[in-house]
Amino acid sequence: MSTDIQLAVIGAGPAGLEAALTASEYGVDVVLIDGSPQAGGQYYQQFPEPFEAGSNTKTSVQKEAQLLIHMVESAPIRRLYNTLVWGAFTRPDDPLYTLALYGPDAPAQLRAHAVIIASGAYDFPLPFPGWTLPGVFTAGAAQGLIKNQRVFPGQRVLISGSGPLQLATAAELIHAGVEVAAVLESSQPVWNGLRNLPAAWGQWGRMAEGGEYSYAMLRSRTPYRLGWSVVAAHGDTDVEEAVIARLSPDGHPIPGSQETLAVDTIITGFGLIPNTGLSRMLGCKHIQRQGQTGWIPERDKIFQTTLPGLFVVGDAAGIGGAELARLEGQVAGLAVAQRLQQISDGQLNTAYQRIQPALKRQQRFARFLENVFAPLPGLTAIPDETTVICRCEEVTLGQIREAVHMGARSVNEVKMLTRTGMGNCQGRICELWVARMIQRILDDPTVTLDSLGAFTVRPPLQPLPVSALALAAESNDEP
Amino acid sequence: MRIEKATNLLPPVKRGKAVEIYVDGNPLIAYEGETIAAAMLAAGLRVFRHTPKTNSPRGIYCGMGVCFECLVTVDHVNAVRACMTQVYEGMHVETRAEWSL
Repeated sequence: MSTDIQLAVIGAGPAGLEAALTASEYGVDVVLIDGSPQAGGQYYQQFPEPFEAGSNTKTSVQKEAQLLIHMVESAPIRRLYNTLVWGAFTRPDDPLYTLALYGPDAPAQLRAHAVIIASGAYDFPLPFPGWTLPGVFTAGAAQGLIKNQRVFPGQRVLISGSGPLQLATAAELIHAGVEVAAVLESSQPVWNGLRNLPAAWGQWGRMAEGGEYSYAMLRSRTPYRLGWSVVAAHGDTDVEEAVIARLSPDGHPIPGSQETLAVDTIITGFGLIPNTGLSRMLGCKHIQRQGQTGWIPERDKIFQTTLPGLFVVGDAAGIGGAELARLEGQVAGLAVAQRLQQISDGQLNTAYQRIQPALKRQQRFARFLENVFAPLPGLTAIPDETTVICRCEEVTLGQIREAVHMGARSVNEVKMLTRTGMGNCQGRICELWVARMIQRILDDPTVTLDSLGAFTVRPPLQPLPVSALALAAESNDEP
Repeated sequence: MRIEKATNLLPPVKRGKAVEIYVDGNPLIAYEGETIAAAMLAAGLRVFRHTPKTNSPRGIYCGMGVCFECLVTVDHVNAVRACMTQVYEGMHVETRAEWSL
């Protein structure tokens, strides 16, 4: 059976919470959906319910999260947590969006007049020889384990990547008592001031503990190396050592510069990829933009996509951080209120003018970070012929090369020949690297990430029990 | 190992109640609220499955339910993501099998 609502907000992180709250304040009937048992998303991730946190000892981010979640949970917003949105559809004869849901409290379908997608982002991986060994984690995985589960990922850790998040991870590990063998920053700052970045990052308001990060690193004398990256991991059943190399300014490992470090854990954090599964399934226009890794939906100034009534906000529309995400959520919440005639055009304009200065400031800051820390093109030289690129289907660079030699010229053609992207993760981990490997193989400037295309996104977005699909089919049969 | 120390970056938190789970038949202590991933890593267990084609070991990678590398069998239910599933008393986790979805 399907239920009709005014607005569905998908994702209860900073962007989704603000969008739901704003729309609800203006009288819109809102359903807020999230796959986790609790609100917060990755950035505002809460401790699991059975854990008890002391009330006076929270970090500033934890306090801010608690306040926002409390406001949302006190508002007349219907919350569907533990709920996956596995499909999103438009029908030619229906102005509403149809969402297919799976979860203990969820109807099989919802029809909504407007949809705000706030599905966040996940780590941009770095494939290198040995990266499938247990003991190689993304920065997101390491953060979750340390902060919310309070478990060590290992005893002696190498951190390799790009951008400010690495310092947060390093500081948390040091505070927890883990030995950090080194922090490698792949980017080579273009001006000398950036050599003092650890301190400069302390100014980054939202990660207010920034000063603490650099202090923890200085105090423990953790080596911080600019222009270096992990290039291989060795070990039998898990990581025993890491090979690191100096990089050229565009990211190519410099031959002869390799060093070996005895570590049991490698954490890579080369930025984030917007989670665009649902917006791509719905078919609004997506583009690639300099500085952003991966596809992003094209949006107007109120964050509406090329499909009327479909909005995407926060990191799901391009990585910009939590503060920008919250502001985008507010704008989209207002825009939906206006669209559903809860407020007038004038009211929308007035509210927009009020938010705009902060929005502009956050956008400028996001552009600065993405320009300094965008993944370097030379990193694509790190995998060797036997390196697995698609982890699920175990497809190597060598196999992708064969497919290209057979004539494949897009990520979808390589997928058909090699099964890359057809495994359980549905290409989320490998898609951007399959494109980069085709580019590397063809070595032709006319072959761009744009021309190589994206994997076609089909429902179900996440693997589901067959029983759930059967239930959905039944509900579709109803008149 | 578990982080017991609390600092300003890692404010104090009390774990849930202790439970016993079994991983490949071996008992280990975990705490309510922990994921299978956290409980296994805390016990030093890093291999969550082996791949079907090359039998290569895999463990926690993305930690947020995206990569599906940490699939285990839980009380005879196949292909459960260890990073997204919380432990409960008497849970049996099997890492030996490879299940495709």
